[in-house]
Amino acid sequence: MAARPQRKLFSRKKVCRFCMDKDLTIDYKDHKTLRNFVTERGKIIPRRILGTCATHQRQLCSAVKRARQIALLPYSGNTQG
Amino acid sequence: MRRYEQVYILRPSLSENEISTAIENTNNIVLGDQGTIIQLDKWGMRKLAYPIKKETQGFYVFCDFAGTPKAVAEIERKFRIDDAVLKYMSVKISDSISDDEIAAAQETAAAKASAADQDDESEDSPVAEDDADDSNDTENEDKQ
Repeated sequence: MAARPQRKLFSRKKVCRFCMDKDLTIDYKDHKTLRNFVTERGKIIPRRILGTCATHQRQLCSAVKRARQIALLPYSGNTQG
Repeated sequence: MRRYEQVYILRPSLSENEISTAIENTNNIVLGDQGTIIQLDKWGMRKLAYPIKKETQGFYVFCDFAGTPKAVAEIERKFRIDDAVLKYMSVKISDSISDDEIAAAQETAAAKASAADQDDESEDSPVAEDDADDSNDTENEDKQ
């Protein structure tokens, strides 16, 4: 039992990538970048895993959905390749 | 005037002439309604993420323009009729755009286009960066 809080102490705090790096923009046309934010099967990776802030996750979400609409990203299926 | 971005996918079997007439027709709708084209970019032939109308490839055209909602509605109506268009998407970027802003946007678009041409020559480095990012993602998932 004691081991658990110990592990939590060492866990790295996640920070929003888009807040840290101002050059990194969210754009539905840039599917190469968006591929980093979806799973291999094409699902959007949740905020609790990515660590993005609410604002950026919302923008990211709509960007992925737009990319799906014009067939830059799949709705489901392999995203790599 | 509102600013819109439009992406449409044309059938891959079209000849170059047919592609250019299709693009011209849509541009004429924008221009006919006192609109201005900020940037027209042919992304070219690309593999689709999923088949559309039994096609696995498509010719992507991207158009950034200032126009009226009426022009957009007209373009979309034409797209729905036209067999050459596989799919289209119109996105409103801003509710109003002045002439000055249009000119500024045109300049930045032109600058970006020339920068993109230079990037094409040194393609290798960005690909390597992408791979590095991927491995980071999987690491994070494992920790969870």
